[in-house]
Amino acid sequence: MTMQNWIRGMIKGMSFTTALFIFQCCYGMPQDMQDDLLLEGSVTSKTTGLPIEGIKVNVKETGQSQTTNSEGKFSLYAPWMESMTLQFQDVDGNENGFYADSDTVLTDLIPDSEPLTVDITLEEK
Amino acid sequence: MPSPLSKLAFRQFKKAETRIHELRYLFWECTARCNLHCLHCGSDCSIDHTQPDMPLQDFLSALDTIRKPAGDLIVAITGGEPLLRQDLEICGREIRKRGIRWGIVTNGHLYNREKHNTLLNAGMGALTISLDGLQESHDWLRNTPGSFVRVDRAIGLAASSARLNFDVVTCVNNRNIRELPDIYDYLVSKEVKAWRLFTIVPIGRAVNHPELFLSDLEFKSMLDFITDRRNKGCLDIQFSCEGYVGEYESKVRNTPFFCRAGINVGSVLINGSISACPNIDRSFVQGNIYKDNFYDVWQSAFIPFRDRSWTRTGTCASCKDYKDCQGNGFHNWHGDKSQVLVCHNAKLEHA
Repeated sequence: MTMQNWIRGMIKGMSFTTALFIFQCCYGMPQDMQDDLLLEGSVTSKTTGLPIEGIKVNVKETGQSQTTNSEGKFSLYAPWMESMTLQFQDVDGNENGFYADSDTVLTDLIPDSEPLTVDITLEEK
Repeated sequence: MPSPLSKLAFRQFKKAETRIHELRYLFWECTARCNLHCLHCGSDCSIDHTQPDMPLQDFLSALDTIRKPAGDLIVAITGGEPLLRQDLEICGREIRKRGIRWGIVTNGHLYNREKHNTLLNAGMGALTISLDGLQESHDWLRNTPGSFVRVDRAIGLAASSARLNFDVVTCVNNRNIRELPDIYDYLVSKEVKAWRLFTIVPIGRAVNHPELFLSDLEFKSMLDFITDRRNKGCLDIQFSCEGYVGEYESKVRNTPFFCRAGINVGSVLINGSISACPNIDRSFVQGNIYKDNFYDVWQSAFIPFRDRSWTRTGTCASCKDYKDCQGNGFHNWHGDKSQVLVCHNAKLEHA
């Protein structure tokens, strides 16, 4: 460890607390130290196995949502929590077929880990 | 008042930080376009832009030169107005793919519920919105009727997110200084958690508007206001890190003054220039991503930022606080650099 790193570590550890190391530039925004995780996956039909476009994927706890694309895929960052509920809802009427809504509870989540893949099949109504 | 020992320790800390100069905060001036025409704009950008937006890939090529990014490195996407970029979410996702966090500084005009959702989905973790007063004074400074209504919507959305590290910034001027208590109450009612107050530096478009600048007495009253409200604890209110404020240092901020421009803060500007904060005089540019390796420049250039002894000139030459101030915020050096543009500490002494 260099002398500079040693001094830095000492000061960080004792007299000023880690608050010194969290800074924001005067014309910038705050730093981001919060844990989150990337949820990725796809939605397919239980009957045909084909991807379903237009399914709303909703993080129940935060209200964040995304609609699956033409490949049935979604990808979103969500704040980390130990468990969360993903809601899959057919919100586009008859446009891409009628599917029953489904909820999936994710548990034992690890912050800032590799993307978490959530592949779901939905039953046709 | 900090003890002499803690002042000494902090000076040593600054020396160590300067020697290590770890890049922890990178501005990306992604566009020169703006949808407002604020009276105080430091970059004097306008909607009639001549400079095209920087292609994402150009910025990523610069970012990818960073050999081992600091664990807390964050990219601050700024402009112009970053929300004018249609590919902002793609930009954010590409930055996150590299394990780097990102956020934006915005006027909030285009920040609606859908944008809030898509930016969060793309991994945005930090956000600053500018609010320059209640309706009349905000619309006046932003030079756009109806802009307060838009920013009010943006603040409400941002404050509702537990994920975002969000704050509001206010440029305090001669018109809105008497509104500060009302703005404070407004922000508390909106459940905003953090508020930073700036003053306006006479650069860019602001030079033509003397009513934007605070008198010495008004500046002191602003710091007194911050001190008073910090004691109430409803909101994390701070004076920005724009300058050294002497005996107010421990009263108006969470940490003592330390201008980290070029020490921990770098930037890629709209034309590819490599510098520190975007509001710093462009004569301090250290290189250009279109001809230099960004990280090599960061590691080996930036001498005027890391050795500020050249600022010991003009009124700084004989200043008793120089060791703690070191020439004030770097953005206060313009022109021939023979005199600091604003000395906040002197304003307090004259008040």
